[in-house]
Amino acid sequence: MRGKLIMAAVLLAGTSLTAGCDRIKHIVGGEKAAVKDTAYPEQVFWGDTHLHTANSVDAFGFGNRLDPEQALRFARGEEVTSSTGQKAKLARPLDFLVIADHAEGMGATKALYDAPRMMINDPMLLRWYDLMHQGPKESLQATAELLQARAHNKLPAALNDPAQAAKRTRKIWDAYLDTVDNYNEPGKFTAFFGFEYTLMQGGNNLHRNVIFRDNRERVAKVVPLDPSSELWPDKLWDYMDAYEKSTGGKVLSIPHNSNLSNGLMFMMTDPSGGPMTAAQARRRAAHEPVVEITQIKGDSETHPFLSPNDEFAGYGTAGWDTNNLLNSQPTKPNDYYGSYVREALKRGLLLEQKIGANPYKVGVIGSTDSHSSLSTADDNNFWGKHPGVEPNPRRATDSFVPGMNVGRMNWQSLASGYAAVWATSNTRAALFDAMKRREVYGTTGPRMTVRFFGGWDFTASDLKGNWVKSGYARGVPMGGSLQARGKGAPSFIVSALKDPIGANLDRVQIIKGWVDKAGKTHEKVFDVVWSSMDKRKASGGKVPAVGDTVDLKTASYQNTIGAPTLATVWRDPEFDPAVRAFYYVRVLEIPTPNWVAYDAVKYHLTLGKEVTLKQQERAYTSSIWYSPS
Amino acid sequence: MTWRNRVAAALREPIVHFMLAGAAVFVVLAGRAPDLGERRIVVNEATVARLGDRFVESFHREPTPAEIDGLINDYVREQIYYREALRLGLDRDDEIVMRRMRNKMIALATSEAEAAAPSDTDLRSLLDKDPGRYAKEPQITFTQLFLGADSPAARATALQAIAILSRGGDAGSLAQPAPLPAHFEATPGSEVAAQFGDEFAAALPRQPRGRWTTVTSGLGLHVVRVEQLHAPASPSLDAARQQLTNDWHNQAMRDAEDTAYRKIRAGYDVVIEQPK
Repeated sequence: MRGKLIMAAVLLAGTSLTAGCDRIKHIVGGEKAAVKDTAYPEQVFWGDTHLHTANSVDAFGFGNRLDPEQALRFARGEEVTSSTGQKAKLARPLDFLVIADHAEGMGATKALYDAPRMMINDPMLLRWYDLMHQGPKESLQATAELLQARAHNKLPAALNDPAQAAKRTRKIWDAYLDTVDNYNEPGKFTAFFGFEYTLMQGGNNLHRNVIFRDNRERVAKVVPLDPSSELWPDKLWDYMDAYEKSTGGKVLSIPHNSNLSNGLMFMMTDPSGGPMTAAQARRRAAHEPVVEITQIKGDSETHPFLSPNDEFAGYGTAGWDTNNLLNSQPTKPNDYYGSYVREALKRGLLLEQKIGANPYKVGVIGSTDSHSSLSTADDNNFWGKHPGVEPNPRRATDSFVPGMNVGRMNWQSLASGYAAVWATSNTRAALFDAMKRREVYGTTGPRMTVRFFGGWDFTASDLKGNWVKSGYARGVPMGGSLQARGKGAPSFIVSALKDPIGANLDRVQIIKGWVDKAGKTHEKVFDVVWSSMDKRKASGGKVPAVGDTVDLKTASYQNTIGAPTLATVWRDPEFDPAVRAFYYVRVLEIPTPNWVAYDAVKYHLTLGKEVTLKQQERAYTSSIWYSPS
Repeated sequence: MTWRNRVAAALREPIVHFMLAGAAVFVVLAGRAPDLGERRIVVNEATVARLGDRFVESFHREPTPAEIDGLINDYVREQIYYREALRLGLDRDDEIVMRRMRNKMIALATSEAEAAAPSDTDLRSLLDKDPGRYAKEPQITFTQLFLGADSPAARATALQAIAILSRGGDAGSLAQPAPLPAHFEATPGSEVAAQFGDEFAAALPRQPRGRWTTVTSGLGLHVVRVEQLHAPASPSLDAARQQLTNDWHNQAMRDAEDTAYRKIRAGYDVVIEQPK
């Protein structure tokens, strides 16, 4: 009997690591020839570039037991059973998904959990092993301790033993490549290969998601790269360069949670504090065409401190703006300059003026950063950051990571966002190329359709014809650049459509940033079109609020205010051809209940006054840049 | 001399023999006659080596012979307590022990399914169970004009548009300039639903062919002409092979735990006595 038990233990330790290797290999590899690309992007595709599964060291510790296969099935619209045993299903499937598990310690907590206890030597690991086996609450505690140890570079060596880790990562990566390929269906659903490069300085968040354009054959030639603790991810970019050179493939990286970087994500200097060189700026721009502007851990568009004249600034900043990711270094207001995307766009212009290259010419997307294998961004179907905060009556009043007492409350989590990509087909190649040219936008969850074109001769009459075709023929789409062209100001076609199962639109704004000759940066928000314009007259530069139909007793709203679609052609009234500028679009929905309000009704909660229950969800487009020749 | 040599030397030391003998005595004194196998503790070289490795990892130096003795002593002590505890049944009411054993059994059960591959017969029977799931989606070709939120004014515009369109005219100027294509060629129903909502996708096939009608969606009011419905061909095993394999595998993983449980469960007689 005992012999059998020991055999079982040994077998377990082995199978848990090799599981999936013998799994039947993908049947239809690579991109099928049958998918045709359209002449120009006709359709917007919705996805998540940032999802964690049980392979992530922290996700497993948080209690996530769903592997990449379950994550992919869920994203494709199938019902799955969550880690806490609840049935979960998206109201609408996604078009694409990037499972981006942490490279560092990939599969380590699962390996620890599955190991025979007698094989564990380190006292810290033994403690975490025991906690993880005791139950979900203790497992959260273990993970909180693990994250703290990571922040202070005090992880037990055995957890990061390079030889062990390399072996484990290779096995998990191979199984992952198989699964992702099995669920990639060109033309219908794109499953990308990728990983997260969790770069941190102390607790300052400098994380990146890495996404490959290529098929299994190429990507299998590499394994995910472990981060070190440098200030700039030069080692990651070296890895990406080496991958592209040796395989002929393509790869990009997307920074996220600049809001938790304490000003380090978008620096004005080089990593040593000296002036940034043009070569450094170009290197960054070449590898990182897009940033993640919104997700569960807050929104990084801008902060009220940076944009005091923007009445809609500060969406999803509260709670995330007081400290860095791991609460190891309080945030000072001056840090905000390097932490928010609008400011980064301005810094980019300034640097370009000074050194001739713009490191921050970035497009934007939204994503989830869910650690539950469930890519949910709808407030009425939100599954939380991790299994500890999957739907339950306590999650609105719990800490962000229950058991990790850091003063960040879970109600401050946003229901995250999605990435919208204007592509010529739903394939890895077409979606990737669209990200590369920044023809993408982000929303805080709702699937609004937004078009944005810049050119020199658009007029209101263009909206009467096939304006999308004109947009591409006579202008540039979001993500593009306008070069100086003699006289006149640029004009922009902007058109937004509500989510077919969501709320009406309040207004469309164009946000302009520029840098003057003296080297000072500026920003201005223009309301360009809004609902009921005849009744809501602008006065003193402000458009009256759209109103509010939210009923908190039932967590509902009415589309009796706002408009299903808003479109206009806008010419910059303050254009100066000698001045560098960017323009991006922000679309605001009418007020709706947030996920906490839905929870409050579902679980009959009484919540404190400080808890936010309503919001105006939004879409942010990538910019169109203007530079004097 | 490395600690391994020291271990080898230590194993020849009388103190170790004495200690093992002591352990044996403890076992004998603890109760019933020793049953070889159940009651024999052999500290072999591999075990001692592992104990030494563990020491090095924690203290970053090699253990002294005395420390190795200590480690062995403690190992034997743990084994003896563990076996005695099992013998006394102390594991039986321990929830943590039970949960760990249960997890190990589940992992054992599912590891086989993880590696399994379906036959064509497996896939065929899955396909026959739900052919609709594995068929290509029905597609639809239609043209639409979006007139904004549904309102009496929009309804009036719709009538106007239908009149113009029915004469073969161009009513494009009556439409709202929304980011929606006018024409959809052989578009799968799910894509129509993604852009217009389920209600609209469901309504389209019910519209008369080749005639302009009004249809509402999650966006508002549309004037629509459905040109063609493309019925899907019946699904083939080869075309759906990947999806079938994925579904089979997913189900196999789910079933594995259930099946294993039912097999073991069959060997038990479970009596439940509800409190009166």
